[in-house]
Amino acid sequence: MAKKPFASVAARMDKLYEFDREPVSPDKLQSGARFAGLFAGEHVAATEFVIGAFFVLHGVTANDLLLGLAAGNLLAVLSWTFVCAPIAVRTRLTLYWYLRRIAGPGGTWIYNIANAVLYCILAGAMISVSATAVGLGFGLKVPSLDAVLPASAGWVILVSFIGALFTAMAILGFEKLSRFAQVCSPWILLIFVAGAIAMLSRLGVEKNLANIWEVATTRVWNGLPAPGQEKFGLWHVLFFAWFCNLAMHISLSDMAIFRYARKWTYGLYSAFGMYPGHMLAWLCSGIMVAAVGREMNPGLMAFEAAGLAGVAGVLFAGWTTANPTLYRAGLALQTLTPNWPRWKVTLTAGVITTVLSCFPVFFVRLLDYVAIYGLVLMPMGAVVFAEHWLFPVFRIEQYRTEKEGRVFNWRALGVWAGTLGICALLPLHLYFRWLPGYFIALISYVALSAARRKRHA
Amino acid sequence: MRKTWLGTAAILSLAAGLAAPILYFLGVFSEPRFKLVLLVASAGWFVFATLWSGARKEPR
Repeated sequence: MAKKPFASVAARMDKLYEFDREPVSPDKLQSGARFAGLFAGEHVAATEFVIGAFFVLHGVTANDLLLGLAAGNLLAVLSWTFVCAPIAVRTRLTLYWYLRRIAGPGGTWIYNIANAVLYCILAGAMISVSATAVGLGFGLKVPSLDAVLPASAGWVILVSFIGALFTAMAILGFEKLSRFAQVCSPWILLIFVAGAIAMLSRLGVEKNLANIWEVATTRVWNGLPAPGQEKFGLWHVLFFAWFCNLAMHISLSDMAIFRYARKWTYGLYSAFGMYPGHMLAWLCSGIMVAAVGREMNPGLMAFEAAGLAGVAGVLFAGWTTANPTLYRAGLALQTLTPNWPRWKVTLTAGVITTVLSCFPVFFVRLLDYVAIYGLVLMPMGAVVFAEHWLFPVFRIEQYRTEKEGRVFNWRALGVWAGTLGICALLPLHLYFRWLPGYFIALISYVALSAARRKRHA
Repeated sequence: MRKTWLGTAAILSLAAGLAAPILYFLGVFSEPRFKLVLLVASAGWFVFATLWSGARKEPR
């Protein structure tokens, strides 16, 4: 009974993604330089102002930070190279179409909805970061680090205004704004670097840099967490840098990009995004927050460090990264309302995002949110990996859901829900749960599929 | 030719934006001057880089 209406929803959903349904043809493949540029431009976002600063507030030492970021980002690059890119190059499909073959249109629909909600929260956090910049002009108090609900009407009014503005811009000119974002990204990295250099003298670094390491270890990353903040060490930093883009590499969202790669080794070009964006920018924001008395206020931090250009940096970083996030959320939400025009869906995503951004919990607990975001989508990445690589090894038939014309792959959905349930119960720090969870998902999906094969044999 | 000039001007703007905090750190610039130079260099980058990216799309 329920299958028929769902099939029509699935058919309309497919139409939305029709433009990238076919595998990429050889004449459309892109050079490595394009991948380097793409990654360099995508990974310097508004959230970098917050993440690097939080490492300082969590009492990370300089040694742990440098080693953790170097190793964690390397693991992220290797995840793109050895997990995401090979599947993308072999299939030349987006995750949407490949997942559809494996999880069925119903499973893909559920995945899309989960993705939409997560995107809205992420865009909401970016709006909150931008609000700290605009709020400077109105003397608005930034929420405290333990805030969950909005503390003042001023905060709600400001984030609502910025959310409405970002949504209107996304509706009116997504394409133009995307081009503007490309122009912005090298400049945003400049603002991070300029702000950090300018703050060195305030922290007491001598002009010949003779005491820079001493300042770094005693005044910036001195190992002392801020009151109420958990102490982080090497493994927290390493895992955070690794899972920060878990949805993109291990969960395979970046198949959309790497299907254009000539070779799977193009995954290594992700280093052009990781090391400037997730190492240099995080180090810079750490220096800036230490120089403003460890106050988590990205707008104030950037203003003190780089003046009006810094404020513009925070605002533009939030704007240009919230724009594609709103677009992706809208695209995913459109699966619920396939007949709605693009503007109406973007408006809906914008309204949800704006409401969420009123709650400072997503901004002041950004690190935890990033961990949850990666964790939620990870099991489906494991399901796709297992079906692609492990099924042939164990002689399990691939793509049965597609061949049998089923709407749902209940084993995949069961593995997804079961893995998340187990991860919720694991006696580990939130940051470390995804890794055992990934192997649990891989093994259980292969085992369930193998058991089904035996039953049918 | 126009594309080359615009690209050069954009990169010089970015370089000026990077030089300003270094000169401030070395004590050559005062804080207000550093922030002003950074702001002007930022404006320069947006003008030239936008035109540069537009010029790249022009048909040959």
